[in-house]
Amino acid sequence: MSVVLAILWKDLVTEWRSRDRVVAMAVFSFLVVLVLHFALPARDAAEARRLAPGLLWVAYVFAALLGLNRAFALELENEALSGLALAPADRGWVFLGKAAANFVILGAVQAATAVVFALFFAVDLWAVAAPLAGVVALGSLGVCAVGTLFGAVAVRTRYREVMLPLLLLPLLVPVLLPAVDATAGLLETGTLRWPPVQLLLVIDAVFGIVSFVSFEYVLDE
Amino acid sequence: MTALAAGGSPADRIAARLRAPTGWLLALLAAAWLASVARAPEDSLQGVVQKILYVHPPLAFAAYLGFVLTAVGGALFLWRRDEGWDRLARSAAEVGVLFCTLMIVTGPIWARGTWGRWWSWDARLTVTLLLWFLYLAYLLLRGFTEGSERGARFAAVYGLVGVPVIVLNYFAIDLSGGRAIHPENLQRGSLGAGMGLPFLLGVLSTLAAFFHLLARRIEVEGMRARLAERTQGMRGEEGRWAT
Amino acid sequence: MSEAACAVAVEGLEKRFGPVVALAGLDFAVPAGSVLAVLGPNGAGKSTLLRLLAGLARPSAGQVRIGAAQDGDRRRVRGRVGYVGHATFLYPNLTARENLLFAARLYGVAEPGRRADALLDEQGLEALSARPAGSFSRGQAQRLAIARGLVHDPPVVLLDEPFTGLDPTSADRLAARVRALATAGRAVVLVTHDLAQAAALGDRALLLVRGRVAFDSAPAAPSAAALEAAWRAAGTA
Repeated sequence: MSVVLAILWKDLVTEWRSRDRVVAMAVFSFLVVLVLHFALPARDAAEARRLAPGLLWVAYVFAALLGLNRAFALELENEALSGLALAPADRGWVFLGKAAANFVILGAVQAATAVVFALFFAVDLWAVAAPLAGVVALGSLGVCAVGTLFGAVAVRTRYREVMLPLLLLPLLVPVLLPAVDATAGLLETGTLRWPPVQLLLVIDAVFGIVSFVSFEYVLDE
Repeated sequence: MTALAAGGSPADRIAARLRAPTGWLLALLAAAWLASVARAPEDSLQGVVQKILYVHPPLAFAAYLGFVLTAVGGALFLWRRDEGWDRLARSAAEVGVLFCTLMIVTGPIWARGTWGRWWSWDARLTVTLLLWFLYLAYLLLRGFTEGSERGARFAAVYGLVGVPVIVLNYFAIDLSGGRAIHPENLQRGSLGAGMGLPFLLGVLSTLAAFFHLLARRIEVEGMRARLAERTQGMRGEEGRWAT
Repeated sequence: MSEAACAVAVEGLEKRFGPVVALAGLDFAVPAGSVLAVLGPNGAGKSTLLRLLAGLARPSAGQVRIGAAQDGDRRRVRGRVGYVGHATFLYPNLTARENLLFAARLYGVAEPGRRADALLDEQGLEALSARPAGSFSRGQAQRLAIARGLVHDPPVVLLDEPFTGLDPTSADRLAARVRALATAGRAVVLVTHDLAQAAALGDRALLLVRGRVAFDSAPAAPSAAALEAAWRAAGTA
């Protein structure tokens, strides 16, 4: 358990010192929102509310892909990933530490992106801020779980920047569908529908457990 | 040699035993199937395109079976570290992607002929497309990982994660209200007269083809490993099992 | 020292996958307080051997045993081995002290702060403790890497070509350090290209070629001449 905290601390401190990952993710995310705004202009408030959930999650997924790639690229410098593999701790804890750090950093970027998004698309996200944060958190848990697992995989392949999206996007479909669905429900009616949230919980549990257990095999050399 | 060496593994033994019988079965069944398809009645509404019914669902069985075997082979490999299981996983993926591609090609042809459109986003089509992408990602992962053992391990993990993804996707799509225009599962008696036999033969010949190709593919990989073992004295290198 | 008569024992060690054979059956033991030098051309299996000894990979056949308890559990192996590789495993944005602190926490060392400070003193790096590891010279970074490898006070230390890129002064210092590790009762396995260093530091030398032992200096201590002859005989062209 202390291993989890140690890795979380290490990742967050490293990130705080350079801030390059967070800034890159945020800027990229804002640009995506901008491009989406031009690509799919909403003619009125109702259309904006209809488009918003999907587009928001597109921006989130792209930001996550960027962040996950960077998370492990940093570990490759000086082969620090091998340093983690050498630890006698259960590698599931190493996974949890990395995933938690990714979750925190992604969360920060997602919050900032939501603000920009609400501005560009003139959608009132503040009114549903709390449940929206909950849905986004649930979705991000799933994303960070498999994302951390396969981030460690992709970083040791050729063409790693391409490999991660290739591996991850098919796996993220079952997370995105209920996440967008729940977000849409929230924007339309202001209340959270239970079925998609329930599905998200199941998916998070499955992804979390499988990733926790499989990380052992991924860190081997 | 230990069981790790080619030939000693259960996967290799099963493959060796399956190859000839499935080859014969395939020849017989395919001939019978073609004959029965030619004789089957043409559907009044759909025309000859309807005969894809005898091809498409069997391909689907094979495509999904392929992925299941890929995942199972990978899991056994991680557990047992027996290379034979990895040969099964890799071969199942290569054969499975072939059948999946054929399935995705025949489906729209049939759809165009019957519903008038090439594609729709109902649950089954979406998940099949996803399956195809999972196969592709699996094969690319194997191809692009530096080091064969690492590639096998990574791919095994991917295959394992892929299975719950396929299952969960059905729920996810149903939830978001994927309209079902894909024909529902065929039930006993729902096939018209004269269609039962060609359909059954289609399923059996496709499965025979699948297992035959799988057996051959596993054997080729096994041969490659045995050959390399023998030349190891002349050419052994640390190689790229790791970085 | 934590454990007294600790040793490294390797039995029938193989590492192979498909057409690639990295190690084809190794048997040897390293008693505590001695240095084993492992030599060989590129691709001979030296790095693979170290990775197996460090518990970073699973052998295809055979066993790696570390410690008097003679267990094959890889996690416990990792807890008893200190690994200093080509790469330093250091995070450039963290200070020297923070790097050691992190490593200490990773290994579950009690009182990580004190351990980090003690190690910095030991390696002569106290003055640099608050500087980011990315700003270190090669020699300084390596000393820090060694400190990191020793953070959990392991009875076995593995060094993968540590003399690469070092100037003569640093190399001498490192050689002295390696000797000191052995004198203090640890078992040391040193992979090196340098025949002279192997002869000077090793109590025993193994020459690996294509995953097999082509030359073993035991029971005598290795001499530079013998190693050179063995190297040539192995036809390492």
